[in-house]
Amino acid sequence: MSAVASRSVAAALRSVTAADRVRDERAALETFAVDAIVPRWVARPVSVDELAAVMTVAAEERLIVAPRGSGSALDLGAPPARLDLVVDLSGLDAIVEHNADDLTVTVQAGRSLHALNRYLLAHRQFLPLDPPGEAHTVGGTAAAGLSGPLRFRYGTMRDLLLGVRFVQADGVVTWGGSKVVKSVTGYDVPKLMVGALGTLGVLGELTLRLHSLPEAERTWLVAVPSAAAAQALVASILDSTLQPNRIELNDHTLGAADAPLAVLVSFGSVMEAVVEQGERLARLARDAGGEARAVSGEWTTASDRVAGDRRTTLRVGSLPARLRSTFETLRRALGRIAGARSTLGAHTGLGLWRVTIDGATPEAIATAVAWLRDAVAEHGGYVVVTGGPVAVRRRVDPWGPIAPDALALMRAIKTTFDPDARLNPGRFVSGL
Amino acid sequence: MATLTADRKRALRTELEGMLGRGAVLSDPDELLVYESDGLTLFRALADFVVFPQSAEHVSAVVKLAHREGLPFVARGAGTGLSGGCLPAEGGIVLSLMRMNRVLEVDYDNQLAVVEPGLVNLHLSWKVGPKGYYYAPDPSSQQACTIGGNIANNSGGPHTLKYGVTTNHVLGLEVVMPDGEIVWLGGKTRESQGYDLIGVFVGSEGTFGIATKIVVRILKKPQAVKTVLAVFDEVDQASAAVSEIIARGLVPAAVEMIDQLTIGAVEDAFGCGYPRDAAAALLVELDGLAIGIETQAERIVAACRDSGAREVRTAKDEAERQLLWKGRKSAFGAYGRVSPAYMVMDGVIPRTRLPYVLRRVNEIVDAHGLRVGNVFHAGDGNLHPNILYDPRKPGEEARVVAAGAEIMKVCAEVGGSISGEHGIGLEKADFMPFIFSAADLALMQRLKHAFNPQGLCNPGKVFPTRKSCGEAGAVAYRPHAIEEQGLAQRF
Ligand SMILES: Cc1cc2nc3c(=O)[nH]c(=O)nc-3n(C[C@H](O)[C@H](O)[C@H](O)COP(=O)(O)OP(=O)(O)OC[C@H]3O[C@@H](n4cnc5c(N)ncnc54)[C@H](O)[C@@H]3O)c2cc1C
Repeated sequence: MSAVASRSVAAALRSVTAADRVRDERAALETFAVDAIVPRWVARPVSVDELAAVMTVAAEERLIVAPRGSGSALDLGAPPARLDLVVDLSGLDAIVEHNADDLTVTVQAGRSLHALNRYLLAHRQFLPLDPPGEAHTVGGTAAAGLSGPLRFRYGTMRDLLLGVRFVQADGVVTWGGSKVVKSVTGYDVPKLMVGALGTLGVLGELTLRLHSLPEAERTWLVAVPSAAAAQALVASILDSTLQPNRIELNDHTLGAADAPLAVLVSFGSVMEAVVEQGERLARLARDAGGEARAVSGEWTTASDRVAGDRRTTLRVGSLPARLRSTFETLRRALGRIAGARSTLGAHTGLGLWRVTIDGATPEAIATAVAWLRDAVAEHGGYVVVTGGPVAVRRRVDPWGPIAPDALALMRAIKTTFDPDARLNPGRFVSGL
Repeated sequence: MATLTADRKRALRTELEGMLGRGAVLSDPDELLVYESDGLTLFRALADFVVFPQSAEHVSAVVKLAHREGLPFVARGAGTGLSGGCLPAEGGIVLSLMRMNRVLEVDYDNQLAVVEPGLVNLHLSWKVGPKGYYYAPDPSSQQACTIGGNIANNSGGPHTLKYGVTTNHVLGLEVVMPDGEIVWLGGKTRESQGYDLIGVFVGSEGTFGIATKIVVRILKKPQAVKTVLAVFDEVDQASAAVSEIIARGLVPAAVEMIDQLTIGAVEDAFGCGYPRDAAAALLVELDGLAIGIETQAERIVAACRDSGAREVRTAKDEAERQLLWKGRKSAFGAYGRVSPAYMVMDGVIPRTRLPYVLRRVNEIVDAHGLRVGNVFHAGDGNLHPNILYDPRKPGEEARVVAAGAEIMKVCAEVGGSISGEHGIGLEKADFMPFIFSAADLALMQRLKHAFNPQGLCNPGKVFPTRKSCGEAGAVAYRPHAIEEQGLAQRF
């Protein structure tokens, strides 16, 4: 594109937003780089209509677009090959409608989860999504499919997102889902947008189901001597009538072979029910050879990915009853990486693990990931590289292989939503 | 649709029998009649064939044949659907999945089960019950409806208020795609990579393919259950109590409302102890830990009293609890005492708008010179107005349909939805524009095309393109067989 054409794109973007909400100076653009690829323009719409207008310009100019919330999860996915326009959604941060007595909220995509939950606190309500980190926007949390320990009780964005207003690749504003807590009216388009990494449309507004905050909440830590004991404990909790909010396997530094493991369990309810569940947990802990002690609920751990993290982080999917064998497999895989410092933790009630790797070469990490993928695939498990240096994500497909028949369907869906492949192209599974 | 010549039909029958075995193919019009409609008898259509596959390979072979012949096809579970979802296009093949009804695997350690689509919903809970587990989504038709049908309609039930609808309980699906290919979506682990194909398949009303294996979560049964009946002199008070319960952050497992007309019918029929002079009653159920449940029950009682309940009582034992639920659940059968027929509506509204919308429902039905009974999942805002009428009176059914459309408009106007659990099917296809713009609908059409490019898989449903699909019958409602046997009721 010539300089003149480039200026005209900027002018077109400014004409549909405002002069100061379109950036095209090098210094500003660099702060919006995705995996060191610097965009040519950044536009910051402040309404869904403006977002649509920006996307219309992008369609006319055939620009490659990357939506951006807070930028905290931009290293999820394969590095982009090319990038023209970053759509900065931080200006779309309003609470559109809070239907407090109905426990629903409609919020613009750029609102941060924390800001939303701060606002909801006054109503003793919350959106029970707790991915580690302060910055995540609601839209980014949906697009990146982020979650945290609370998913054990409340599910993920997929279970909480009722409706979504998004802008298609061609600039058309589209609504999917509903604003009420139950609906089978048309296809469940909101589910499709969760975890799609912005490759199907740019999220503008999300309507969400809220929960009321539990009156009381307490956390217990059970140190157990081995992975086998941890597995026995978790199994006994799952098979009981206890109703935990979270069941986590806390950080474990892999160096020390026989270091004890810590299982963290929290309960949220009326106080008497919390206390009684703590007592029952203590008995289960003793049966598993451990001891429960009350701790302050601190859920951000060293194996969580944080903004600007330079480590490689993995998410490993397995089954809760495979705790011990998954632990051993991870230990073996990570032990193979020369010079690596690794930690791991898990949403262990659901069989979802997270791993961090530091201080190893990209080649070694790529080899270990490939080995691990083979090892867990046998039982339907998977490994996703959730972040890390570009060099790692160039060597290994962050998402791993997708079965060809399911992939064919995904391709058909992608073509339906984004026929010219301009929304985050190449970053999602199998190069979608 | 080109009709098949008699010769062609004979040849296809032979071919289908070759695939599935004799006794697995129907083509005689008398036998086909049984499959001409579902629980909503307003629409009827005859297939060319009804077949009974016993495996995914069978389903795949039939679908490939249909694909080759350009014949429309549709999956059918128990046929309890209430929106005409499993009706054939005039002609084509109905695949009845009732012979694929096995529980293939139960993995208690990982709290999941793998089942075939024709498994009756309740049978899964029976199967895992002895170990203290159950399958949470509990449509009132659960003694008959299949998990495959539940997947298609994303079915709910009284207890989905707390536990979520079908989609929240499905981990994986094996699907025969509309071209006959067998595909796995998801599996046993949480999350799979790429687009959430399961999420979009559930609730697609049989238009994206045929589920042949289903991986669902099973839950541990709660330790304790407590049931409260609150009685009100005004419907508005009962509506306000629902709002109040939700707004106070209480999390009951179920909140069901029953109005005066329905109470009268139920008491005439069964005598469950609901006060006839009440304008409305709420049946509220709490479940979970034994400890703390009293505290929560007291708060429910307080919310009801503060909203003007004249009487609130807690079921003192399991027998009384069962009796109260019997009243709720047998409401349908009881309508037979007060009206020759009725049609059930299904819409969802924000729970805070219940007082307004229930008033409007009554006004609308009144204006059409009809009567309505309300019994519904109030906690979710999921209305089921049941419009009573006499199909023998000329023009009455048309008035019911007109009133139904107006009620759906009201649901849409207050920001609600035109189906909470019965689906759009044929019944509401023309109402979709109440909710969606042309662009929204066009996108969903394209999405359907991605799964079902030939359009042969369950054509004519969901989208308002229908001219006339099936003839409108004389009676919108006939009791479903399971209702006649007293096994279920219609909401
Ligand atoms: C008395 C009564 C009470 C009811 N109560 C409730 C209730 O409380 N909550 C509720 O949600 N619904 C309720 N319903 C509606 C109905 O029972 C549900 O929609 C149920 O899920 C339908 O299941 P089915 O097996 O009868 O499916 P069918 O009616 O046979 O089919 C329904 C749809 O599912 C599709 N389908 C069936 N099997 C498959 C498959 N394997 N793969 C893909 N598509 C498939 C069909 O093509 C069709 O579109 C009630 C119905 C009756 C008659």
